[in-house]
Amino acid sequence: MNRSFRITLILIIIVGFLTVSPVVMLIFGSFSRGLSVFGDFTLDKYIAAYTDPDLRKVINNTVIFVFGSSLVATLLSLFLAYLNNRTDVPWKFLFRIISITPMMIPHILFSVSWVLLLNPSNGIFNLILKQLFGLENSLFNIYSLGGMILVEGLLDMPIAYLIIAPAMASFDVNLEESSRVCGANTLQTLIRVTLPVLRPAILAAFTLCIVRCMASFAVPSVIGMPGRIYVLATHIYQTISVGFAIDYGKAAAIGMSVLLISIILIIIYRHLTSESEKYVTISSRGYRPAVIELKRAKMPLFFVLGLLLLILIVLPVLVLVYTSLIPYSMIPSARAFSMMNLNHWREVIKDPISILSLKNSVFLGIFGATIGVVLSIFVAYTIVRIRTKMSGILESLSFLSFSFPGIVIGVGFMWFFVRTPIYATIWALLIGYIATYLPYGIRPLSSAFIQIHKHLEESSRVFGAKPLTTMRRIIVPLLIPGITSGWILMATMFLRELSLSVVLARPGSEVMAVQILRFASDGLWGRLSALGIIMIVISTSLVALVNFIGAKLKQ
Amino acid sequence: MEIQIKELSKYYYSDGRIIKALDNISITIPSKRICTLLGPSGCGKTTLLRCIVGLEKPDSGEIKIGDEMVWCSKKGINIPTEKRGLAMVFQTYAIWPHMNVYNNIAYPLQIKNFPKEEIRKKVEKALHFVKLDGFEKRAATNISGGQQQRVALARALIAEPKVILFDEPLSNLDAKLREETRRELRNFLSELKITAAYVTHDQIEALALSDVIAVMNSGYIVEVGSPRQIYFNATHKFVADFIGRANLVKAIVKLQQKDKTIVSSKIGTFVCQKRDFPVGSKVILCIRPEFIYLKEDKVSKDKNIITGKIENLIFVGEACEGEISIGNERLMIKIKSESTLKKGDTVNFMVSADHCLLVSD
Repeated sequence: MNRSFRITLILIIIVGFLTVSPVVMLIFGSFSRGLSVFGDFTLDKYIAAYTDPDLRKVINNTVIFVFGSSLVATLLSLFLAYLNNRTDVPWKFLFRIISITPMMIPHILFSVSWVLLLNPSNGIFNLILKQLFGLENSLFNIYSLGGMILVEGLLDMPIAYLIIAPAMASFDVNLEESSRVCGANTLQTLIRVTLPVLRPAILAAFTLCIVRCMASFAVPSVIGMPGRIYVLATHIYQTISVGFAIDYGKAAAIGMSVLLISIILIIIYRHLTSESEKYVTISSRGYRPAVIELKRAKMPLFFVLGLLLLILIVLPVLVLVYTSLIPYSMIPSARAFSMMNLNHWREVIKDPISILSLKNSVFLGIFGATIGVVLSIFVAYTIVRIRTKMSGILESLSFLSFSFPGIVIGVGFMWFFVRTPIYATIWALLIGYIATYLPYGIRPLSSAFIQIHKHLEESSRVFGAKPLTTMRRIIVPLLIPGITSGWILMATMFLRELSLSVVLARPGSEVMAVQILRFASDGLWGRLSALGIIMIVISTSLVALVNFIGAKLKQ
Repeated sequence: MEIQIKELSKYYYSDGRIIKALDNISITIPSKRICTLLGPSGCGKTTLLRCIVGLEKPDSGEIKIGDEMVWCSKKGINIPTEKRGLAMVFQTYAIWPHMNVYNNIAYPLQIKNFPKEEIRKKVEKALHFVKLDGFEKRAATNISGGQQQRVALARALIAEPKVILFDEPLSNLDAKLREETRRELRNFLSELKITAAYVTHDQIEALALSDVIAVMNSGYIVEVGSPRQIYFNATHKFVADFIGRANLVKAIVKLQQKDKTIVSSKIGTFVCQKRDFPVGSKVILCIRPEFIYLKEDKVSKDKNIITGKIENLIFVGEACEGEISIGNERLMIKIKSESTLKKGDTVNFMVSADHCLLVSD
């Protein structure tokens, strides 16, 4: 048995344990009588779950919500990517901000800030409009499918953007130019050449958005539940956390179809991305794509960009800061400013559970991301460099968790941990997080490995270095950019993790997002905002710090 | 249809410096001929081509295709690319990956809303012309580089354009295929009697393909002429050096005769092609290695004779290439591959007056 074979096997066991065991638990649990996993075989849970009279409505809502928000996210990112890559719109650094910042603003806070702005009873924006136009009723109601689609669409836009923008950047402009030479005008070229060539990338982005929307829990719980609009994620949550008839088996039975659809979609997604890569023909000459002069459309489009920046980043943060300082909801006014105080902040700092959740989240973020990245380095190396059938299995396994809807897989993990001593501890969360978010670490690292030419590594071997020495001296230093971005992705995901945590967190292992959700359901908006700001500050400074360290190490 | 370019300039700005990609260029690309723009990379040849097709906007000057002004900075004329009625073969071929071969080739006609049946006939004819019969249904990503190149050519030919532009179309093919395709392309183009502008940095390609060669360097046109003129009778040092290989030796004009010019240099006295340099002026004597002949019998004359010691000689198959030294000067030579000469031998060489070229320093 040679060494690379052994490494691959060990990794398959680890990753397989992380990703397959919760799924297996879920399957067993859904067919088992009673509350445990290994009870008698029964189909009762499925019958109960799928004959539920509410399910029809839930599925309707889910379909509208998922397709609506994926469409919003994809179209928006297509528009932004085109604007960035192909036009002379000013201030292009804004695109970078728009594409990465939403990672630092947790989904749950983003959702909450929109509730604070647009809820029908005392949403700030609604109050302002009422006062301005003397309206009787609120103009907007965020607690609606439309509101959910808007917020989720904005949240998923960066995911779609990160797929579409690189495809557009590596697009061979000669393809368009040759269409122009053949007599097609700009519009004909866009419709007949540009968009069709980008089609796999656009569809891939759309597919991934669908998977993310199905797994989304923040928007459905913060915006959907108060409006009594249930989608599959919240329907499952209700089954396992509300009322007396908690039924994990029934939740698992519904979760199985969500998981199955997600897995199928992820397979489609991977097919589409490989298709899209086939289309990429980077021209041998470094011609910059011909930039389209926007002329009169320049300022309006720039205005749209600014508005997006405002909606995505500035407004949510401002609303949270404002809410954390005022005693109760009111329109920003001289009176409101005179009444500002730090009471909510004091209450949060005095609240032991908030402080505990803060500590837990920071620990999970830093420690979890570090372990996750170390594992990702080995997995990415095996996938990219040791190209055997075994490493192909590893790749598929590590991609599996990309399709995991947190709340569904959380149930699987719960069953798994319940028989072990780590149940209800922070370690259960740690393992669950790493398993669920492994692809976020593997992706940047495998693209880093692809960029490092094999010869660099081979020559180290030729000069007598052992594989581990080669890894330490040659590969890791060259991997620094991949490592930093993988670490940042994982750490920010862990810091704000909600959907897995709502299932796994128990008294003592609370995390920030769960605590925020609790504040939200109790309507404690002030404390929520204060804790939320702390969360944003922590994740932003972590990102800045790691970027700084990465830049230092690279020198 | 001829292309007239007058005083065309194009500048790029990078890092606060101005790069003159095209520096006041005037040239006429003759009708129904193959004209090559030849030069080292960065000389502006591709920029010129892209200005003609309209993918790049010049800063000043004018471009006329046939009788139609397509670009004029003074009159503010700028006909968009799609209305210039040209065809172009790109370096990367720019075969659309989402279409099959048929749709790639039919595209120019589809855009012009030709009837379907006519398109079908024309595509069939074009495919036959480039020897790709039966390739209609193949996916564009599923054919070899040479085949892609021919699809690109068929697409350029289908709409029977007035002018075809080529941007280094052979540079992505391997050596053997390149030679073959070059020959085919020459046949295609002379058969079609079409105006072609062809950009390349490969001098052999330029010599083999063109009726007219325009040699370019750092944004301007150095010299225009037929392949033979450019090769045998270049008037500029840059051209003599860039085309083929050349020994460049400093020389001084000694005497002007009716049809010959006589110069002296460190490697001897040479009777050269007539050039109107004043007696006593400094010039460059340019001798190509392939025209330096071994002279084994007794030396009778004292002119056009080079006596040198062989410094190295390498067998490259079709010939032996090497260097000889005459004092401090070194000359490249190319002699028959059967030669038994070896390093250290001192030998006499002869160069005929027709192959002694004088260019200004």
